[in-house]
Amino acid sequence: MLSGSVEAQCRLIQTSFQKQQEPAEKQSTLTELTQSKESADFSILPPMPGQESSLRWEGKKYEELHIVHIKATYNNTHIQVTTHDGRSMLRTSCGTEGFKNTKKGTPIAAQTAGISAAVKAINQGITFVRVAVKGLGPGRMSAIKGLSMGGLQVVSITDNTPIPHNGCRPRKARRM
Amino acid sequence: MAAHARFVSRTVMVRGGDVETAYRTLTRILTMDRIIEEAKRRRYYEKPCRKRIRENYENCRRIYNAEMARKLAFLMRVNRQDPWLGC
Repeated sequence: MLSGSVEAQCRLIQTSFQKQQEPAEKQSTLTELTQSKESADFSILPPMPGQESSLRWEGKKYEELHIVHIKATYNNTHIQVTTHDGRSMLRTSCGTEGFKNTKKGTPIAAQTAGISAAVKAINQGITFVRVAVKGLGPGRMSAIKGLSMGGLQVVSITDNTPIPHNGCRPRKARRM
Repeated sequence: MAAHARFVSRTVMVRGGDVETAYRTLTRILTMDRIIEEAKRRRYYEKPCRKRIRENYENCRRIYNAEMARKLAFLMRVNRQDPWLGC
C-alpha cells in the first residue's frame, strides 16, 4: 500500500513540478532558479522517524509537534489536541459548541468546533500542529479548515481511518 | 505502542499554509489506493453472496470498459495520411 501511494505521490510530485515549471518559464532566470530550488526542497512525504531532516517548526522536530486528533463520525465530530507522547490537552466537539442531535453531524458544526479548539490551543501556547483524521464523516474537511481559520498552523495531515483486515463484523446492511 | 510507525503512511505535508491543496492531495492518494471505497464498503456487513455478485460485476465492467476504450481508440484514428494516395 505504501509503495502504491509512493508511486502516486511521485506522479503527483511530477505533475505539480511540471505545473510549477510553466509559470516559472515566463519569469526571469534568477527567479526561475529560486522557484525551482524552493519546489525541489519541499516534499509531500513526512520526515521519516529513522532519517534526520532539517525541518523545524519553532525549534521543534516533526516528532515533537502537538497532534490534533479529529474523529469524524457520521453523526458528530470530535477534536482532541494532545502532546506527542499522548497526554490530552483539550477536547472539543460539536456537542460542546451547543449543537444538538442532527445539527452536530454537519460541516458547519465541525468548523465551529475547529475554530474554538484552535482558539483554546493558541491560549495554551500551541502554534504548529499536525492533524490526524479518523473516519469519513461530514466534518472531515471543515474541521481542518476551522483549525486553520482559528489561527492554528497545520503542518501535515494524516489519515487514520481504521481499515480492519477482516476483523470485527460490522452491523447488518440497512433496508432489507 | 502502536503496531505500525505513526505519521509515516497516509500522510501529506502542508506547503505554505495551503491546507486545501494538501487535503485534496491526500484524498486523491487515498482514492487511488482504494482506501476510501474500502472504508465505505465496510460500514455495513456485505454477505459473501453479495460480495461474489459485486466482484463478478466489477470484473465484467472492467473488461467491457477496456474493450470499449480500445475500440474507440482504434476508430478515432481518422486523421492520418491517405493510405490510397495515387489510386
